[in-house]
Amino acid sequence: MGRSLSVVVLGLAAALSASLVPHVIAFCLSLLSSFMPELALTRGQLSLVLLIVLSWSLRAGLLDSLLWAAVGGLCLDMFTLLPLGTSSLALVLFAYALNSIARQLFSMRIALLLIATASSTVLFTGYTWMALALLGESYSLPRLLSHMLLPTLVYNMLAVLPVYVVVRRLQRRLEGGLLVSPQSLTQGGAA
Amino acid sequence: MRSFMPARRPLLLVLMLLFCGGILLLSLYGILGPVESLAASPLHAVAGLFNRLSLSVNATLQDLNDLGRLRDRIAELEEQLARRQVESIQLREAASDYNQLAQLLAYTSGLEVQEFLTADVIALEQSGIARSIIINRGSGDGLAPGMPVTTDLGLVGRIIGVSANAAQVQLISDENSAVSTRLQTTRAHGSIVGQASGLLRLTLVDLDEEIREGDLVITSGLGGNFPADIVVGQVTSVRQFEFELFQEAEVRSLIDFDTLEVVIVIIGFEPIDLSVFAPEAEV
Repeated sequence: MGRSLSVVVLGLAAALSASLVPHVIAFCLSLLSSFMPELALTRGQLSLVLLIVLSWSLRAGLLDSLLWAAVGGLCLDMFTLLPLGTSSLALVLFAYALNSIARQLFSMRIALLLIATASSTVLFTGYTWMALALLGESYSLPRLLSHMLLPTLVYNMLAVLPVYVVVRRLQRRLEGGLLVSPQSLTQGGAA
Repeated sequence: MRSFMPARRPLLLVLMLLFCGGILLLSLYGILGPVESLAASPLHAVAGLFNRLSLSVNATLQDLNDLGRLRDRIAELEEQLARRQVESIQLREAASDYNQLAQLLAYTSGLEVQEFLTADVIALEQSGIARSIIINRGSGDGLAPGMPVTTDLGLVGRIIGVSANAAQVQLISDENSAVSTRLQTTRAHGSIVGQASGLLRLTLVDLDEEIREGDLVITSGLGGNFPADIVVGQVTSVRQFEFELFQEAEVRSLIDFDTLEVVIVIIGFEPIDLSVFAPEAEV
């Protein structure tokens, strides 16, 4: 169920971040830029698919994580100049790395997610820049860092926890409500 | 959740990377083209829906936000309109004289009758690095790579990729976009290139040419990629240094590329391939 649902969820996320999210950000910035005019120059955008893939990989099994990453990448590439599968390669690696580290660090998962979000945003932007360069589309790296990467980093860091909460709820539902609090187990045992 | 034995984890990763790499190769060689078109259709439809929704909500909120400024702007525009009406009458007289003289000389200006097709913008580029949009018309509607895309406010870009029912348009604000232009007042030639900030820069203008703030920049038609005389933007500031070979200017497009809703594709225009006139590479 979770695997087939990934197509719908990630497809919707890609469509959302290609159409709705930029407008919301543009509107918020236009409001803010009346106080701080330099904000109007920011060009970053929220990487909703990346955040969902990372949040899913934090607690899911490896196969599920990799499938969500592959599907997310494919959906993402439908809205970019990149050939199909380019983003999937990077997302699969991020999902694998995060899933492997999360198995070792049970108690620090939220901190791990924040670190993973920051580092994968930087790496993913660099990877996309390189992929575009290989396709003959060269973009100035220093200007990219200031105009696109930094704002994207801020948006992703602000949005990752709300996204994680939504993804975690979805995961729990898919697990069939098996997650039970330790207190209820004790009470059940005493009865 | 299924958990995998630690030894199988790298194997699973390799298999998944091979799968993604395979798709990438097939896509690069264009073998997946029809499948991509088919898979993209529902996604583009959903994106179009979201786009319309967000644009209408955004526009309403923006209007409320801009109410005060809009009042001032209306007064300013009314004043401009009055001036333009006088100019328009003078121009109509001049055009009438021109037509009469052209008929006398049997002169044709070479202006072709253009065919247009309107399209809705359904999504924006997702990588954040490139600047492009996706429109809801494709090869089924007669669109082809290279076709110019405009709005009533000026040039938007050109089509760089087409599927059956959608097309990707590279915006003129993309860093890899270059448009041959000229200034409407002085007729000085230059090239408009996009910048990382999303603004436009007029480059390659000779130092002895005069650029003034407020000048309109229009396409020159040189290079054969765009028809001539489409508005590109307005000069906002000029940068001129004696040690440089050319002067530059910042240009503001009249179009807000982030809130584009409807565009016009010029389908009657065929880009001219000038590569045949280029000197052959030495072997």
